[in-house]
Amino acid sequence: MNENSRFKIQGSKFKIRVPGFRVVNGAIILLLILSSTAYAHKVSIYAYAEDGMIHSEGYFADGTRSRNSRVEVFDARTGEKLLEGRTDNEGRFSFRIPRAASIRLVLHASMGHRNDYTLSEGEVKEALGIPEQETGQQEEPEGKPRSDAPPPPTPRSDTTPAAGAPSAEMEAMVERVMDRKLQPVITMLLKLQEEAGRPGTTEILGGIGYIIGLMGMAMYFKNRRKG
Amino acid sequence: MHISEGVLSAPALVTGALLAAGGVAAGLKKMDYERIPEVAVLSSAFFVASLIHVPIGPSSVHLVLNGLLGVLLGWMAFPAILVALALHAVLFQFGGLTSLGVNTVIMAAPAVTAYYLFNRPIRRGGHLLSTLAGFGSGAAGIALGAVLVAVALVSTGEEFTGVARLVLAAHLPVMVIEGIVTGFCVIFLKKVKPEVLEVGK
Repeated sequence: MNENSRFKIQGSKFKIRVPGFRVVNGAIILLLILSSTAYAHKVSIYAYAEDGMIHSEGYFADGTRSRNSRVEVFDARTGEKLLEGRTDNEGRFSFRIPRAASIRLVLHASMGHRNDYTLSEGEVKEALGIPEQETGQQEEPEGKPRSDAPPPPTPRSDTTPAAGAPSAEMEAMVERVMDRKLQPVITMLLKLQEEAGRPGTTEILGGIGYIIGLMGMAMYFKNRRKG
Repeated sequence: MHISEGVLSAPALVTGALLAAGGVAAGLKKMDYERIPEVAVLSSAFFVASLIHVPIGPSSVHLVLNGLLGVLLGWMAFPAILVALALHAVLFQFGGLTSLGVNTVIMAAPAVTAYYLFNRPIRRGGHLLSTLAGFGSGAAGIALGAVLVAVALVSTGEEFTGVARLVLAAHLPVMVIEGIVTGFCVIFLKKVKPEVLEVGK
């Protein structure tokens, strides 16, 4: 009982003292949180085509995903709007390829942030399994775009013709293996691209340098007018 | 608060650019030789402040410091903010060069308003009044900026109305943070170097 009441008194005492203290503390904590979370304020979108689908990802310059943002999909050549959707909680938005053409995605994040990304016609067609115009053959239309994309599989595509006509099975298998092997590389590239969008020390110091330079110029001209 | 390139319509962009040009001209006229370094320092502060951000909901907001610039610089906040925003656009692709005018107005007009509303109470008032006025200038800088973003977005089409409301809601926390930061800065400056607050006519 006794202890309880003492606690109460201490509690109330503490409460009386608190206001100014808490504001200062709060401000310090807030500033700490603020300075630890890095840069923001530009939204980017990245997209790739695969297996008849287009996958897109929206993120801010600090790496946070742009959730529930509107994505508009256009035919890049004609400018015709094909469809629109919203990104999910991971900032992703996927849809079936609407047309075998170059496709432009426009991401509208909130508060006037916007960016776009264009997929080339070749990329889209490859994901749809449509051969490029030159490759008219029936048997190995799929092999062509794949063998000229990444260097690693070259030994493999060398062995395929030696073993005879590449069967569909073989092709599917190679594709699966490649997908698995390339997954980390793609993730890494995505990450690199994200990081490249972030402001670095060089830019920040450079910007301050510009301002100092402008200051010098302004002072020079004002001084001359005076004299 | 940076509006990206390609969001606003041409009339909105031109209006923004003209208003910004007017504000910058007024600011340059008031800027005398002795004040230039101060303008540059605050411009740098503004330039860096925008890189510190708070994630909120689907988007993120950052410190702006336009209220502080306004209280300390008055109309000179216009050139200071213009320079910093131009560098944001060029170096970081925050905002954009076509929307530079609009963005300058969005952040500098509230700064000038904060100057007219709060500079006098900060200089003349006691400790408490100065603190409150400092808080007010920081908060007002953000609030008016948010309203201007909303106006800019609404003027381009009906569909933006909802987004505009969101802008106001999203900036509420930053308003408080900016208010606190500006309050502390102002009080500190008043103690250490009160002449900084004398902007002149």
